[in-house]
Amino acid sequence: MRPNGRRTMARPVLETRNLVKRYDGVTAVDDLSFKVYEGEIFGLLGPNGAGKTTAIRTIMDILKPDEGTIQVLGRPPGMARERIGYLPEERGLYRDLKVLDVLVYLAELKGTPRPVAHQRALTWLDRVELSDWARRKVRDLSQGMQQKLQFVASLVHDPELLILDEPFQGLDPINVDLVRTLMRELQRDGKTMMLSSHQMNLVEVLCDRILLIDDGKAVLYGPLDEIKRRHSPDAVRLRTSATLDALPGVARIEQRDDTFTLTLEGITPQDLLRTLVEQGIPVEAFEVATAPLEDIFIAVVKERNDA
Amino acid sequence: MRKVLIVARHEYLVNVRRVGFIAMTALVPLLGAAGLLIAAFFGGQAAAFFARTFAPEAQDLGVVDHLGAFTPLLPDYQDRFSLFSDEEAGRAALQTDEIASLLVVREDYVESGHVAVITKEGGFNVAIMEDSDTMRAFFVDHLLRDEVDPALRERLADPFEPVLVSLEGEGEPEGGPLSIILNLLVPYFLGTLLIMTIFVSSGYLLQGVAKEKTSRVMEIILSSVTAQELLAGKVLGLGALGLTQMTIWLLSSVVLSGGAVGLLGIAIPLLARPEVLVLGLVYYLLGFLVYAVLMGAVGALGTTQQESQQLAGIFSIMAAIPLMLSGFMFANPNMTLVRVLSWFPLTAPTMMLLRLPMAEVPIIDIVGSIAVLIISIPIILWAGSKVFRMGLLMYGKRPSLRQVMKALREA
Repeated sequence: MRPNGRRTMARPVLETRNLVKRYDGVTAVDDLSFKVYEGEIFGLLGPNGAGKTTAIRTIMDILKPDEGTIQVLGRPPGMARERIGYLPEERGLYRDLKVLDVLVYLAELKGTPRPVAHQRALTWLDRVELSDWARRKVRDLSQGMQQKLQFVASLVHDPELLILDEPFQGLDPINVDLVRTLMRELQRDGKTMMLSSHQMNLVEVLCDRILLIDDGKAVLYGPLDEIKRRHSPDAVRLRTSATLDALPGVARIEQRDDTFTLTLEGITPQDLLRTLVEQGIPVEAFEVATAPLEDIFIAVVKERNDA
Repeated sequence: MRKVLIVARHEYLVNVRRVGFIAMTALVPLLGAAGLLIAAFFGGQAAAFFARTFAPEAQDLGVVDHLGAFTPLLPDYQDRFSLFSDEEAGRAALQTDEIASLLVVREDYVESGHVAVITKEGGFNVAIMEDSDTMRAFFVDHLLRDEVDPALRERLADPFEPVLVSLEGEGEPEGGPLSIILNLLVPYFLGTLLIMTIFVSSGYLLQGVAKEKTSRVMEIILSSVTAQELLAGKVLGLGALGLTQMTIWLLSSVVLSGGAVGLLGIAIPLLARPEVLVLGLVYYLLGFLVYAVLMGAVGALGTTQQESQQLAGIFSIMAAIPLMLSGFMFANPNMTLVRVLSWFPLTAPTMMLLRLPMAEVPIIDIVGSIAVLIISIPIILWAGSKVFRMGLLMYGKRPSLRQVMKALREA
């Protein structure tokens, strides 16, 4: 689901303007402005040390920004704590407490009445298959189970906005898949999510829009598909049983098994497709090649540094 | 405020189940019970031992009466005393253990008071016999048997039966000379006990914060409540924990001592000066607040629990200074150093808790120290939660003094 149409209509749930945060002379966050719209999954991406966690901590009112303004759910940071779910990068749980007690306590701190918190905690434990562990101590859980519990802890109070700092950090592939599935379900339920990650390949399938930062500065910002289109090479991937000779408007042809990568020059993929049909070449698969986000990031950063 | 209470409730429930808390809470009554058992057991045995060894009443005595005043023996004494016509017969009875000692009363007894005491084993019993009420009565009764009526004879044998009546308390008798000691000691021990609970509870606070920091749960908590709310909730919850412990200790001491003694011991000295009780409670509460907030902030600074505890040691020593001075204070409760420490917020609670029961404290010291404490607690809470907030988010390294100062300035 790509809510491209909704984007212009939806209201911003989170908005920062010219956000700056410095530590001991180092500018960790440098003039960041972005909006997160209702119902979308927004990715705050960048390599380690880019300033993602610092930006998130200012949004969560854990750090005070040096400059700039932040509006979360229409209010200054710290005024809407109860409507936000937060999964910090530095995370842990009370190891000596029972699983259910931890969830109920954290939900209560977010303003959920105790009986409701209890009920929701049980529902969520069931959803992530931890029901049998509700009365066990957190320390008895396996690493993977603790990660699931940690994720549940951030949303058991039913927040409108979920801020997830490196949600896939340290997860095994099975749990990465589980968390991704849960996030899509939450989006279907109308929740807004902002997640940060340095593993761009893990999030590019999830995000509607992204902000890519490096050294605290914005590098790329906007809808993910648009960014990918804009920064992809003019190339098409084509699978065919035919042998390809020179085609008009195609500068280069590379072949690997039966898949060809055609680099276009002066024509659109549509023009190429028309030519292929006209020439009677059997097309088994045809797709516009996009580069992985990571490649785009590296290219853009390199370009910027060269400039 | 609701969140403060949620944190408080959580802290109370988590800590009340801690093995350390249960052990510490149970230890005091258990030690008391053990002490009572030991006292009862050895007390009984010792009494029997002393009775066997030292009490001449338990043994039969022989008398050789050269004076003539003891012949015949008065009926009251015939069971345990027996007359011998001469020393030879008495010694023979001593040899066969018919009697334990032989008293030889010479003709010059009235002038000299000398009585020869012949025993089989040595002269150990003599001193005891001299003090013995029974021996005294034996001599008084026989010497005065024809001259004085029995009531007067009894008075002569036991002339002084003190009944203490104090002018204070409108002539009501107090609990005897013991209460004078209790007046001083009970509040002193109570004060020490209170100081202990302050440190035990704030120690829990320190551990709890350090643990939340090392387990990385802190950032989640701080996204739900403010540092002030968290710190206040912890202080409140652990304060309630300390009160629980105190209540259990007091109740157990009452139960163990069969109610009466314990209650009297605590109540008499405190009721004699109710202002000491009230002020003691005030200083206890203020002292707890100061130290709990401090320990919370310090707990957040260390990277590990051990490191936090080392840092906290500095403050614990400050609070203990008055305890170290208590020896001098007995001699001079209002000496200058004591007065200065009463005004300093970190030593004032312990100092005043010790000082109050010992002497009349100048009213200016009481008002002044309470005012200083009341003013400094919000400052410490404010500064503490700034440091707390900064310390909590720094993992892996301890913030430098410069960073702590910066956090305070930026607040």
